[in-house]
Amino acid sequence: MEKQDVDLRIESVKVNDYMVIVLEGEVDVYSAPLLREEITRQVARGEYKLVVDLEKVAFLDSTGLGVLVGGLKRVKPHDGELGIICSQEKMLRIFRITGLDKIFPIFGHVDELKRRQAGE
Amino acid sequence: MNPPNIGAIELEIPASPQYVSLARLITTAIARSLDFGDDKIDDLKIVISEMCTNAIIHCDNREGVLNRIKVRYFPGERDLSIEVEDEGPGFDPECVGNFEDGIAAGKGFGIPLIKSLVDEFELNTGPNCGTTVRIKKYDFDEGDRA
Repeated sequence: MEKQDVDLRIESVKVNDYMVIVLEGEVDVYSAPLLREEITRQVARGEYKLVVDLEKVAFLDSTGLGVLVGGLKRVKPHDGELGIICSQEKMLRIFRITGLDKIFPIFGHVDELKRRQAGE
Repeated sequence: MNPPNIGAIELEIPASPQYVSLARLITTAIARSLDFGDDKIDDLKIVISEMCTNAIIHCDNREGVLNRIKVRYFPGERDLSIEVEDEGPGFDPECVGNFEDGIAAGKGFGIPLIKSLVDEFELNTGPNCGTTVRIKKYDFDEGDRA
């Protein structure tokens, strides 16, 4: 059944070597499967350097965190990486509480990612 | 004068993922009416989401029959207690892991996250007796108590 009322929009854009998956809306048990599908789709296309942009995410719970960890497990065997773009304190706090801030590289803005790639 | 004790507010939702956002909306409205700050409301939104998600995952939804989840709110003077009850098969509480287990498994963050965001946590479950999770959250931090 198609989830027509799901409050999550996903757009993936290439930023240099990285595929940035931009999310807008809420990530919970209802919408998280859409994110999982997108990560799976990108990995199947050979994209192993992923960054998930949470800047426009209003809500993220443990189901979403689980999908991100699952995504990391998918790219790791390909020497890939999965980073996060997030500057929202309420979300960063959840990453700190769970210890996931030690697992994912976290960028404050997409420009930070670009600067890292440029070796600045 | 203390406000009157209004007793419990009850919500019953189908054990289906699409209704978790409804529980978040109602939790937000109740917490806001109790003058909880934005940070505490953000915590409660995650907590109710985790509580309902756990109930849905553990509900034994057989084909064609959608179980229901009961959510009860107990507003206090400076706190909010929430109870979520499902009629699923229950589980062994010893199976609840920690964040490290969650990172290793890519799941199982729910209950540890609830515990870290509330002031009181109670889990009643066991094989074939359903599950009730009850939490209490104050509208102030421990160090700020008047």
